[in-house]
Amino acid sequence: MSGLFAAAGLPAHAAGQSTVTVKSTRDPVDKSYRKMIRGMERFERERAFAPNASLRFQLLPRLPNVDMRGITLRVAGDTVSVPVPVDDNNFFVLPRNGQALQEDAAVLASRKTASMTWRARIETPGVPAGMRRLGDLRLECRVGKEAGLVSNSSPLFGWISDALDSPEGVCTSPDGNYLFFAEHPIFAVTLRAGERVETLPFSMLYAGGDQTPDMLPFCDCQVLLDRTYYVPLWDASWPDDTLVEFTYMVDPPAGVTP
Amino acid sequence: MRALLVLCAALLAGCATQNAAPPGAQVPAERLQQTVIAGQTTKAQLLAAFGPTKNVRFDSGFEAWVYQSPAGSGQFAEFVVLIDPAGVVAKTRTRAPAPAR
Repeated sequence: MSGLFAAAGLPAHAAGQSTVTVKSTRDPVDKSYRKMIRGMERFERERAFAPNASLRFQLLPRLPNVDMRGITLRVAGDTVSVPVPVDDNNFFVLPRNGQALQEDAAVLASRKTASMTWRARIETPGVPAGMRRLGDLRLECRVGKEAGLVSNSSPLFGWISDALDSPEGVCTSPDGNYLFFAEHPIFAVTLRAGERVETLPFSMLYAGGDQTPDMLPFCDCQVLLDRTYYVPLWDASWPDDTLVEFTYMVDPPAGVTP
Repeated sequence: MRALLVLCAALLAGCATQNAAPPGAQVPAERLQQTVIAGQTTKAQLLAAFGPTKNVRFDSGFEAWVYQSPAGSGQFAEFVVLIDPAGVVAKTRTRAPAPAR
């Protein structure tokens, strides 16, 4: 409120109001601590997809000019502020804090919220380097949706899509649209389960390949389009141990693990 | 409220359908394999030979183009071409039609 008076050129006391110190502000795009904890609880409930995996979260670029180095993160409530260490690859583990839960805290990063997007990262030990495991991705979708991590934005339809999509709808339907991001720009994505090997269709790469320049700003794949892929999370004929293999646009130098 | 959501979903679906890109130009697989050579063929040559097709252009300058090759029984193989920022084909790949299940 004092900010409103300041914006109008009036000191707060001039309008007969007492000064209120605001320790943190909640941007509608900031992540809800309660929701992210619900995502972590879902990870624990549905570990059958990835029994030996661990859960982290990751920050990813959403706008072309965002500096992804040196990001700091904290859980901020009305009275509580908990720093969250972020590693060099922008992965972090969210700590549990009862006070923050009670205060309906936000998870705030040291960047404008619209400049980044967020994902869960679930990794089973022993998966070959440069590959992903389908069960890990199935659980990432459920945790990511439960935690409210996807930062798509549409000024007109955002509230509608939020109302219509749920972890079940997105993660178990052929029409589900949960986007994953590879480590590098991809040329092909191949599924391997025993003797069965299939390359994903073009329509499952690059956010479907239908994004026009005027649509891209509303997709959290905006600057990661060439790393973006869907996988058939819904298709039970592919077991959780299916490996997801990437062929990149630019091959890594010989001897270097992608 | 529920009716409003259903209406809005229908509107959104309509928009998505209207904006959907075509699946790609249809070209026999033999012609693609004979014509498109990584490291040599240019974007201009692709356009001249096969016309425009579904493609995605990336901020990096790379482009991915996709063609459909009839494979019988109403199925199509995908032929995907990666074009580098200099406008030369960098890679190609063929995806066999997915087996019906």
